[in-house]
Amino acid sequence: MLLIECPWCGPRAETEFSYGGEAGIERPADPYALSDAEWADYLFFRSNPRGAHRELWNHAQGCRRWFGVERDTVSYRIEKSYRLGSAGSGRPAAAQIEASEEKRR
Amino acid sequence: MSETSSPLPGVEISVRSGRGFLNLRLNPRRGQALEAAERILGQPVPPAANTFTAGEHEIYWLGPDEWLIATAAERVLSLGSELAEGLAGFHSAVNDVSGGHVELLVSGVDARTVLTKGCTLDLHPREFAPGQCAQTGLGRAAVLLAAGDPSIYTIVVRRSVSDYLCSWLANAARPHGARFPAR
Ligand SMILES: [Zn+2]
Repeated sequence: MLLIECPWCGPRAETEFSYGGEAGIERPADPYALSDAEWADYLFFRSNPRGAHRELWNHAQGCRRWFGVERDTVSYRIEKSYRLGSAGSGRPAAAQIEASEEKRR
Repeated sequence: MSETSSPLPGVEISVRSGRGFLNLRLNPRRGQALEAAERILGQPVPPAANTFTAGEHEIYWLGPDEWLIATAAERVLSLGSELAEGLAGFHSAVNDVSGGHVELLVSGVDARTVLTKGCTLDLHPREFAPGQCAQTGLGRAAVLLAAGDPSIYTIVVRRSVSDYLCSWLANAARPHGARFPAR
């Protein structure tokens, strides 16, 4: 069983989580501008790397928040987990909310 | 529902009846909204993850912008409308979720041992001290588990799985002398 670190709740058993697939996939701003092949690539194709993989997890039995995880697909080792919107996840608006929530603590 | 047998059972389990529940959502970085809520509630809304405050109500942290308020059943309607009114100007939500929840109490010297049989968390007071709570799994049920005074645990569980959880608890507690009839 994996021990997964929820960015809010801390380390919890894998059974408390559900897997959300590869992270960082952005919906195209203008879907109608895409060819069928490009749209299919967005919908169905994932990078499936051997090694470091950024993925989404949901703490389903806990705080029910989505967060990001960097996991090695060979060793299953989890290198880090992070709140969406924090550094590196490329979501500046959320990052601001995050920063001000952090300040409150 | 709360009868236990002599001699001195190591654990007692009971259903706490007459309880009502409100789900509160607001952005804690909106200081004014938080203050308004705390003024109405008369106690702090816990900012720290997996903690709760106890006063007239118990307020449990559920998420970075979500709390569960447990209070007397007859207080739910008035408290709910006071909160809705006081938070009207803010991006927030107050919902009466009384119908969906059951509150259980598990206490006694063996309470922790019983819960440990079906929970992956380390419940030692060093890790799970009074004032802490956690949404986690117990048996196969998703529960909110809270540590009160030493050896007293509160469980809030969905009504639809409460029969199952009571049966599970009764079974887990039997070797410790508890007689808790599953309905
Ligand atoms: Zn969590």
